Amino acid sequence: MSLKPYLRIILFFLFGFIIYIADITMNYDEESKDIYISDQELDGLFAAWNSQVGRPPNEQEALNIVNDFIEEEILYREALRLGLDQNDRIIKRRLAQKISFLKQETDREEPSSKKLADFFDINKDKYYVPPTFSFTHFYFSQSPEAENKAKKALSEIVKFGAPSSSEPFFLGKNFSEYSLGEIEQAFGQELLIAFDNPALNQWIGPFSSSYGEHLLFINNKSLGYSPKFSEIEDLVRQDYMLQEQDRKISDYLDSIKSEYRVIINPTYEF
Amino acid sequence: MKTRIALIIAGVSALFVIVAVCYYALMQFAEEKYSIVLKDSSLEIVDFAIEDKEEITNDVPPNPLKNPYFGDLHVHTRYSFDAYVFGVNATPYDAYRYAKGEMIKHPLGYEMQLKEPLDFYAVTDHGIYMGMIQEYGDPNSPQAGYEWAIPFQNINREENRTLESMGERLNLFSLMAGDGYLERPYPVWHPKMWQAIFTKNRQLASKAFDYGVHKSAWADIANAAEENNEPGKFTTFIGYEFTAGTEVEGGNLHRNVIFESSKAPIRPWSREDSLNPMELWAWMDKLRAKGLDSIAIPHNSNGSNGEMFEVETYYGTPIDLTYSETRMRNEPIVEITQVKGTSDTHPLLSPDDDWADFEIMDGRVGARPPTYSYPAGGYVRDAYLRGLMLDWKGQGNPYKFGLIGSTDTHLGAGSFDESNFWSKVGVVDGSPMSRGSIPLTEERLEQLRDYSEEYNQPVSAVEVDGNSYAIGFDQWGSSGLAAVWAEENTRESIFSALRRKEAFATTGPRVAVRFFAGFDLTSIDINAESLIEEAYDKGVPMGADLFADGEKVPEFLVWAQKDKYSASLQRIQIIKGSVTNSGARPSEKVFDVICSDGLEVDPTTHRCPDNGARVNIEDCSITNNVGATELKATWRDPDFNPKDKAFYYVRVLENPTCRWSTWDALKAGIKPRSDLHKTIQERAWSSPIWYIPVPEDIDIFAL
Repeated sequence: MSLKPYLRIILFFLFGFIIYIADITMNYDEESKDIYISDQELDGLFAAWNSQVGRPPNEQEALNIVNDFIEEEILYREALRLGLDQNDRIIKRRLAQKISFLKQETDREEPSSKKLADFFDINKDKYYVPPTFSFTHFYFSQSPEAENKAKKALSEIVKFGAPSSSEPFFLGKNFSEYSLGEIEQAFGQELLIAFDNPALNQWIGPFSSSYGEHLLFINNKSLGYSPKFSEIEDLVRQDYMLQEQDRKISDYLDSIKSEYRVIINPTYEF
Repeated sequence: MKTRIALIIAGVSALFVIVAVCYYALMQFAEEKYSIVLKDSSLEIVDFAIEDKEEITNDVPPNPLKNPYFGDLHVHTRYSFDAYVFGVNATPYDAYRYAKGEMIKHPLGYEMQLKEPLDFYAVTDHGIYMGMIQEYGDPNSPQAGYEWAIPFQNINREENRTLESMGERLNLFSLMAGDGYLERPYPVWHPKMWQAIFTKNRQLASKAFDYGVHKSAWADIANAAEENNEPGKFTTFIGYEFTAGTEVEGGNLHRNVIFESSKAPIRPWSREDSLNPMELWAWMDKLRAKGLDSIAIPHNSNGSNGEMFEVETYYGTPIDLTYSETRMRNEPIVEITQVKGTSDTHPLLSPDDDWADFEIMDGRVGARPPTYSYPAGGYVRDAYLRGLMLDWKGQGNPYKFGLIGSTDTHLGAGSFDESNFWSKVGVVDGSPMSRGSIPLTEERLEQLRDYSEEYNQPVSAVEVDGNSYAIGFDQWGSSGLAAVWAEENTRESIFSALRRKEAFATTGPRVAVRFFAGFDLTSIDINAESLIEEAYDKGVPMGADLFADGEKVPEFLVWAQKDKYSASLQRIQIIKGSVTNSGARPSEKVFDVICSDGLEVDPTTHRCPDNGARVNIEDCSITNNVGATELKATWRDPDFNPKDKAFYYVRVLENPTCRWSTWDALKAGIKPRSDLHKTIQERAWSSPIWYIPVPEDIDIFAL
């Protein structure tokens, strides 16, 4: 005999409720009183004993170590439960340090422009804009005849204005506003000689690069310069703040470092 | 009677009002106390741009003929769960400093620095539990008291960054790589559970997860990218790794997601959300609809057990046009080479390719114990052929992707140089002995045995030439670089180069390659200054389609330039793959196109003669004055059938040089292992050009 429809619905909800209650009771363990000791922790405890005593613990000693550890954990938890961590000066100081450390990281007080200007003066080199060159070239790929070809081409340029032959270069023909670093990256270190006090607006060469011989026509050299402080104030501010952050952290580390003793195995071999 | 009806109506409406008020109050409470709202948290877009950042003006004009830019789009830092366990302390900021040419330190203490800076870089930490492990490791964090955090505590303290900690570290990695270690669900009634449901954010339901920490880790990664992006000089991308795999077999389906601008979602969409890449694409499509474009770049298909380039969908259903289009919209690029091996092709898949046995990594990614990965479906050449076959059957081509390389370094710093290799997982493989290039000492062997026993792992040493070597890392290598042809070094320009697949891959050296196809390229004078301009005029560049022009035979232009600091070039090859129009029968062929030192390609075998380049294994010196600084040529396909679908891509080979394992042995003053390749031919691959025949009138119905 079948049940009435509404009875089935009620039954459905009832079962649902029971499962729900069961799930809550079985899965909830936030305030548990379990003390979980992992294998790694045990290893660590025994290794610590070993390092102090110079031999692994025997069974009785091992039991004692684990017991001590458990008691410490229980006392710690009970102390927390009783609120013994409140009004303790050592804990207070430690927590105060923690918060100040956090603050140092987040504190973003605006530096005075005098400070920024000083910072800029000290780090002027960092903001130096290197000289750049704009140039075009004729290229002769690496071969024993490359240099002769290039020399011939140069004389043709002088006579007719253009060489009778040259080759395409992989990275192109015209280069605008290349710094010495970029020139080195594109052509190799060898070619840098050509940019040491070059004659402008005339064909010069041939010069060797990592890829062959080049005739160069350097039409513009912008001198390197240190930008004015007012032009790059924002950039300086960013760098200053970054440096301040690093400084605060390292200051903090310095102040706390003296409390630590560093132990390194003197016989350790890499 | 009437009053009764009125009473019932009043009662019902009163009840209704009470229920509504209760519901409202409950939702208010939920929102205020636990910020539970009905929305999808993964679709919230944040602009990470730095407001008052000094913009360096880029007044160098863009180059319409494009410049080659080299970079790395796969870099992990301490925010990755595994990197932290591997002892890595490098931040995303350190990673970008390294890419710009500065020195940073390896966890084992030595210095890492590039020979020349890179042009672009993206930090891509694992999305899953991003930032959480670091939190567990910090004994002062709120997470520190929980039992799941204890094994991580202080693991990276200075004195524990030693080779001896490797066992502990690998064990933690195994624990996390197996799912479930971090799944500690709240009970069903807990508000966090509702929050997880109402904001579609599954990770919130775990006690071992702190959303605040997770979000701020992601924001820090984005901020590092924004701070270091310098238009015109150095480009960064906001990105992360979607680290998913198939539930059975451990098929690796990892992808890196790269965002186009300073905008990104508030949290990375990770394997906690789904293991299914199709759902990743759906999410990316939704972001795209909101105006945020992104691409996903699959990697380590070689370790996917053939699952990366399947001929069916994730669900096992047939691939259809929609699937193919969605996949190509979201995944235009694949990483062909990285530290964990190269995925061009496998000797079993391409028995006629003499260069197929190159940096093969034949294990599944992250599998413990180590497990063989079946090659079919895991290598890009095979995938291209599968794509043509699917296309022939009218299912669309889901495998029409371009190629890049990257490193997958977990140190913030890619290792590109065979003679100065530091692999990628920090303390675990940072020394020659631990990566198996020099024999284990008795003491270390003992440690490895202890480790195997303690953590129930298979034997971690192998006997070769009477010596014991560590296993697990000897198939890894110092590879790869991502390269693009872009108008200028900016985010927009590089991202659109990746989108149009005008990209190529190298195994580390900065070998650059141009590749064009057309029907009239042999008419160009390859020694004319206007070469590239004409090539763009008359042809299409790498990554593009070449549509049939009647029965005309396609012609190609290739041009490669060597890396200044690496060996000279030996030859350029074009690899052709096609399927027949009469039955989709696949075939592939490797053609040498031009040889160094003026040597001629043999017209019957299509091979260059030996150019005499040799390596002296005693000191790793190479033959001088052999090889080319650049190679260029035009080429016509000699066995062309205008009806067959085909693809063509370039492989540029350097002269042989010593492999990192040989360098390691040389530096230690011992003989290199006899079972490893002693030399390597560094190489570059272009993205393919696809030949599209005139469509047939016949419709093919797959049965």
